[in-house]
Amino acid sequence: MSAVVDFPVKPETRPYLEAVAGSPGEPEWLMQHRRRALARFAELGFPSRHGEAWRYLDLRPLEQAPLRPLAATEVEAARAGGDPASAWPAAGLRLTLLDGRFAPELSRLGEMPATVWFGSMRDAIVRRPDLVGEALEALAADRDQPFAALNAGVFGDGFTLAVPEGVVVEPPIEILHLASGRSTASFHTRSLVTLGAASRVRLVEIYTGEGRYWRNDVVAVRLARGAAIDRVALVEEADAALHLAVFDATLGPDARLSSTALLLAGGTLRHDAVVRCQGEGARCGLYGAYLAAGRQQANFVTTLDHCAPRGETREVFKGVAADRAHGAFQGRITVRPNAQKVDAHMLSRNLLLGAHAAVDTKPELEIFADDVKCSHGATVGDLDATALFYLLSRGIRRADARRMLIDAFLREPVDRVEPASLRDHLLARLSARLAVLEET
Amino acid sequence: MEFPSLMLEIRNLHARLGDGREILKGIDLAVTAGEVHAIMGPNGSGKSTLAAVLAGREGYEVTAGEVTYLGRDLLALAADERAREGLFLAFQYPVEIPGVNNMYFLRAALNAQRRHRGEPELDAGQFLRAVRAKLKELEIGEDLLQRAVNVGFSGGEKKRNEIFQMAMLEPRLAILDETDSGLDIDALRVVATGVNRQRRSDRAIILITHYQRLLNYVEPDRVHVLLAGRIVESGDKSLALELERGGYAAFGSVG
Repeated sequence: MSAVVDFPVKPETRPYLEAVAGSPGEPEWLMQHRRRALARFAELGFPSRHGEAWRYLDLRPLEQAPLRPLAATEVEAARAGGDPASAWPAAGLRLTLLDGRFAPELSRLGEMPATVWFGSMRDAIVRRPDLVGEALEALAADRDQPFAALNAGVFGDGFTLAVPEGVVVEPPIEILHLASGRSTASFHTRSLVTLGAASRVRLVEIYTGEGRYWRNDVVAVRLARGAAIDRVALVEEADAALHLAVFDATLGPDARLSSTALLLAGGTLRHDAVVRCQGEGARCGLYGAYLAAGRQQANFVTTLDHCAPRGETREVFKGVAADRAHGAFQGRITVRPNAQKVDAHMLSRNLLLGAHAAVDTKPELEIFADDVKCSHGATVGDLDATALFYLLSRGIRRADARRMLIDAFLREPVDRVEPASLRDHLLARLSARLAVLEET
Repeated sequence: MEFPSLMLEIRNLHARLGDGREILKGIDLAVTAGEVHAIMGPNGSGKSTLAAVLAGREGYEVTAGEVTYLGRDLLALAADERAREGLFLAFQYPVEIPGVNNMYFLRAALNAQRRHRGEPELDAGQFLRAVRAKLKELEIGEDLLQRAVNVGFSGGEKKRNEIFQMAMLEPRLAILDETDSGLDIDALRVVATGVNRQRRSDRAIILITHYQRLLNYVEPDRVHVLLAGRIVESGDKSLALELERGGYAAFGSVG
C-alpha cells in the first residue's frame, strides 16, 4: 500500500495507513473497497471524547501507543496446549481465529448440512464472493465509525456462515477468538452471517487472549424473513487488551435476533450493537452484563432502528463497577413514522461499588410514530442494604454475601441462554470472575 | 456442655435513629436459657428497633447501655458474627432477594455457622434430607425452596420461611419480630408449632408481638410491656391477658 495519499489524514491514523491491507491476490473490487475504507478512517480520525458517541471511553493510551495491525506473515502457527478457560467445553463445532487469522488446526468445522457454508472469510472471498461481497461493501458503521472503517480497510480474516432457506443448524457453533500474546499488535476480523428465510442458528463467540493487543472486530448478520439467531458473546480479554467490537444486524419480516454479551475481563471493552428492524414484525432482544474492576472500562452501546410496523425490542443490560472502574451504557431506540405498533423496552441497571467507581447510563428514545409502546429505565445504585443485612443476619460473611448479591444481579441477562450447558458455562465464568473481585 | 444460665442481659439500652430520634429510652431485660419471653407493645413503642439493634442492623446508634449475650459484648460484634454465635432474627417484613436461590442461600448460611462452630459442613445430600424433614413439619412445599429467597411468596409463606430457617439453623437465641402479624389461624398454628419445637433448656426465644393471639399457642414464661421505648411492666403470662382486656393505655402513656 503506497504511503502517498491524496485525502486528508488525521495524524493519529498514520501508523495504521502504512499497514499492509489485505493479502496478495485479493480481487480488485476488494482492494478498492479497502482503499475507500482507509481513506474514510484517515478522514474521521480517532473519535473525540467531546462527541456523545465516544465520550465514556478513554482511548488516549491507544492514541499514544499505536498497535499496528498484524500482517498475515507474522501470525505464527498455533502451539499445542489446552483450551482456554473461557472456551465452552461442550462445543461441537468450533472455528478458531488466532491473532486474527483462521487456525484450522485449532478448529473443528465438522459435519454441516451440505448446503450450509461455514468457513473463514478469506476462504469465502476466494470461493464464495457472492456470499460476502455485500458485507465487504460499506456498512453504515464503516461510514460513521472510524474503527469500523479501519476494520474494513485492514481486516485480515474472519468467519462466515451462510444458511439457506428453511435449514436449522442444531448444535451451537462456537467461534473462538484467541490472542496468543506473541505479538503486541491489533487484530481486525470481519465476519458475516447470512440466514435464509425461516432458517435458524445458534452462535457462541468467545473472546480471550494474553498480552497486550487491540481487537477491532466487525460481525455483520443478515436475517431474511422468519430467520432466527441466538448469539452469545463471552469477553474475557487480557488486562492490557482493548476490545472494540461492532455487531451489525439487519432483520427482515418476522425475523428474530437474540444477543447476550458478557464483558467480564479486559482493559478497555466496548460492544456496539447496531440493529435495523427493517421488516414488519421483526423482534430483537439485546442482553448484556459487564463486570468492571481495577481500572477497567466497559461500554455497551446499542442503536436500534425500527423501520417497519409491529417490531419488538427488549433490552436488559446490567453492570457492576468496582474499584476505579468505569462502566457505561448508551442505548438509543428510534421508531420511524411508519413503524406503528412497535413495542420497545430498554432497561439499564448498574451497581456502583465504592467511591471511586463510575457509571454512566444514557437511554434515548426517538419516537416518530404515534401508536407505539416504548419505555426505558436506568438505575445506578449500591447493593440493596436490606437484602445484604438479611444474608448477614443468617451468618453469611460480608464478602460472601456481597458476592452472592452481585452474582444474582448480573446473572439475569444470562438466565435466558439455552442450552443449559452453555448457560452453566457462562454462569461459571461469571462466578470465577466474581471470586477474584477484591473490592476496595 | 455448660451453658451460662443467663443468655441475654440488656442494661439501660438507649438507641436512636440516624435522624437523631431516640427510640429506646433505657431498656432492661434479662433472659435465661430455656425461657420464652414475650415483649408486647403498640406501634411506635420501639419493638422493631429493639430487634434491629440486637441483630446489628445499620442505621441505629446505641447511645447508652450494654447488651451481654452468652457472656460477650453483643454490640461489639458485627451482624454476621452475632448470627454465627447463635442469634437469629425472624423478620417482620422479610425482604425478597431475586436471583439468590432459597436452598443455596440456606445451605451457605448453615455451613457458615457450622464452620464457625468447628462442625463439618453438610454436603448436598445431607442438607436435602435435613430440609425435607423440616419442610414436612412446617407444611411448606418443596417448590417454594427452589425459588429465589421470598420472591413471589405470600405474606404467610414468607413468615413460614422465617420459621423454617430458624428450624434449620437451630439458634441459641431466636428473636421473632411480629411473626404472627398477618397470619390466618392455620398459618399461625404451623408457626407456633415450629416455635415450640425450638424450645430447649439451652435455648431462649423472644417473641415481639402486638397481639396476644400467638401466646395462646406459644406459652411465655415472662411477658414485658414496651411503651415509648421503655419496659414499663413485666409479669407472667397472665399479663398478656390483662393487656388484651385493658389495652396498653392502662400501663401508661403510649407516645
